[in-house]
Amino acid sequence: MILEVLAFFVLAITAAVTALAALLVRELVHTIIWVAAFFVSLAGFYFLVSAPFLGALQLGVYAGAVTILLLFGVMVTRKRIFAHEAATGLGPAPVALALLIVVVLATAASTISSSTNQVYGFTISALSTALFNQYGAWLLLLGLVMLPALAGAIYLVREGRE
Amino acid sequence: MTGLPLAGFLALSAVLLGIGIFGILTRRNFILLLIAIEVAMNSAILNFVVFGAYWGGVPGYGIEGQSVAVVLIGLAATEVAVGLAIVLALNRLRGSINVAEATVLKL
Amino acid sequence: MTALAWTVFVPELFLLGAALLIFLLDSLGILRDRRVELFGGLATVAIVVALVGVLADLRFAPLASLATVPAGVVNAPWTLLGGSLVAVTSFGLVFQAIFLTSALLVSLASLSHPSDQKGAAIFFGLLLIATLGMTLAAFSADLIFLLLSIEITGISTYLLVGYTRRDPRGLEAAMKMYIIGALSAALSFFGASLLFSVYGTTSLATLGGPILYNTHFPPPLLGATSIALLGYGFLVVGIGFKVTVVPFHAWAVDVYDGAPSDVSAFLAGGSKKVGLFGYFLVFLVPILLSGRAPPGLPPIPVGFHVLIVHFGLPLQVVFGVMAVVTMTVGNVLALQQTEMKRMLAYSSISQAGYMLIGLAVATSPAVAGAVLLIFAHIFMKAGAFIVVGAVAGLGVGSRITDWKGVGLRFPFLGASFAVMLLSLAGIPLTVGFVAKFVLFSAAVQAQGWFVWLAVAGLLNSALSVFYYARVLRVMYMEKGEAVVVPIPAGAVAGGSDPPLLGVGGIGYGRAAAIGVAVAIIFAFGVYPQPVLASFQMAVNHLLQVL
Repeated sequence: MILEVLAFFVLAITAAVTALAALLVRELVHTIIWVAAFFVSLAGFYFLVSAPFLGALQLGVYAGAVTILLLFGVMVTRKRIFAHEAATGLGPAPVALALLIVVVLATAASTISSSTNQVYGFTISALSTALFNQYGAWLLLLGLVMLPALAGAIYLVREGRE
Repeated sequence: MTGLPLAGFLALSAVLLGIGIFGILTRRNFILLLIAIEVAMNSAILNFVVFGAYWGGVPGYGIEGQSVAVVLIGLAATEVAVGLAIVLALNRLRGSINVAEATVLKL
Repeated sequence: MTALAWTVFVPELFLLGAALLIFLLDSLGILRDRRVELFGGLATVAIVVALVGVLADLRFAPLASLATVPAGVVNAPWTLLGGSLVAVTSFGLVFQAIFLTSALLVSLASLSHPSDQKGAAIFFGLLLIATLGMTLAAFSADLIFLLLSIEITGISTYLLVGYTRRDPRGLEAAMKMYIIGALSAALSFFGASLLFSVYGTTSLATLGGPILYNTHFPPPLLGATSIALLGYGFLVVGIGFKVTVVPFHAWAVDVYDGAPSDVSAFLAGGSKKVGLFGYFLVFLVPILLSGRAPPGLPPIPVGFHVLIVHFGLPLQVVFGVMAVVTMTVGNVLALQQTEMKRMLAYSSISQAGYMLIGLAVATSPAVAGAVLLIFAHIFMKAGAFIVVGAVAGLGVGSRITDWKGVGLRFPFLGASFAVMLLSLAGIPLTVGFVAKFVLFSAAVQAQGWFVWLAVAGLLNSALSVFYYARVLRVMYMEKGEAVVVPIPAGAVAGGSDPPLLGVGGIGYGRAAAIGVAVAIIFAFGVYPQPVLASFQMAVNHLLQVL
């Protein structure tokens, strides 16, 4: 149990630091590495709260596919991207706004009692049963989100022969 | 399994959301904007997974959270693909993807 | 919980089928040189069929025999379909009719694009899918279902804005809209996750009501209320980006300005309304439910405690303030614009402020008035953008001063535009006046501080007359030739509006769309009872459940 709490804190610090590093480093390729580490640390959380399927999905989709997509984007647009400073100055207003959000939410979080907080895992079969029956409409909608994305994205990047 | 601090998870997702919003407000490179949005989206997904697990103690509750998380992971990946398509088309047209250089219209 | 057949979704299936057919025909390369007629015709027919189906479901007299939804369902407040994600309400059906009408207007006008226009398939296909997302949103009984449907519309509209593909302005607008849209989605889903953490469900009927808690999941009173309030706050912001509420409005002006005019018409007249519908669906329950158990609540299990929270007043104050700020900022900034499309965009923002009065007051007549204004706004604002597209296609520049003498040179376009602007300003005999009258008088009837919302609305309407009148003066009074921008061969004039042919240079489809919009503005301005009565009934059905 102590081990789990320890794991939580290690993962939490890793996630926060990697997310921040991804947005602050100069080289965009380094950014991709940091963001991959961020996705992996979140997958660690999902294993920690006994949601292994979500963990695997996070590793496959985020740490795998999305990272590669981002890397692809960096490489294709590389010519100009290295020539320019990626970051602009740190104005006080965005930092203040972000801090305000963190403080307000953390204050709300701190009102939750720290007594026994138990987590319960679901088996993959229970999850898939729920996903394809009770919540099947969400999957249909996800498919309908992907339809215009696919059609439009192909249209936009296709070298126009017409 | 007991003892994981629920408040800690909520605080962490708040921190991640804060980082995401900070990134969206300060970065001007499109790829970095995409990453900042993904960080914010991941904080929502983390909330759904964790609170799904916590609600699992109540019969009939909880699994909804993890189902939402599955759908949201798919949605976020779709959004990244669309964003990259737009940026590639723009890149081919103009040779730059810095939002600050969007000269015709100001952000 | 009544299980309904899949036939409820017949109108949506037509939209989806037509979109898929368009993509298929495009990849087969059929009728390349008449593709706008082919794809546009398919899209228009599908939207008309869907609209007929929805009107039949609403028991619109001549079509009632075509209805696919049993009569008892439409008259009932909240019928869950299948599981707990989908509900059929007459309120939702009314909004479906509104969404389909706006799509029909845009698709009709777009028939006037040049016959072999590149990207015609993607334009009409994405238009259909965006409309499909909006109509599905109208079925939602669940927050995630609603947000995902809005996301279908969102993704389609980002790509729609950039569909010209060779136009940097359009692509830049698409990029901006994408960033804002993705941010808004992330914030909305974060708000949903906070609400889920407190309620353990995302069902819209349960959210905002009593909070169940037990010893397994201990949100103490203070924590649960503050987290739920924060969740609602994030939803206000997230959906607020879609509604273009001040201070989340800045993107809209650039996007409406940079997008092709027909797409701007769809954004202002159509896809913005789905955000307003989301506002109504998500926030009417917590505003009205305060302290009462909803009939749909499952029996409280042993060992659970119930926490009654009053979200009503804080949310009403938030929406009231947002309404006043939005309409004032929109109008003041509209006064200073020199570009026609930017002026219309700011005017669209201020109209969203008027519509929010309905949500702040949250009585049955107020909501009905807001729905009427949303309905009217299609014809006024989408119509106005369609006219702007037509005028740009005739070679007139995009600045307001370029429109000198347009009213005399193009009598039909000028007169139509004048009618639309007068309706936006709320001049009697137009539907815009009727909608504002119903809305403001409902706010006055509600007494208390709501009266001040009506006062603010009236003052703002007076203010808005100035910039509408300025356009009319330029169009009709100012002497001198209209500035005509020569159209370079093969290029596009006035932003990305393709040059047009047909009746008087504007094309049959566009002329028909403008004519229909003007006719409806007058028809419902003089005789609004039938449409107002059906909106009122739909709102009453929805509010019965609360």
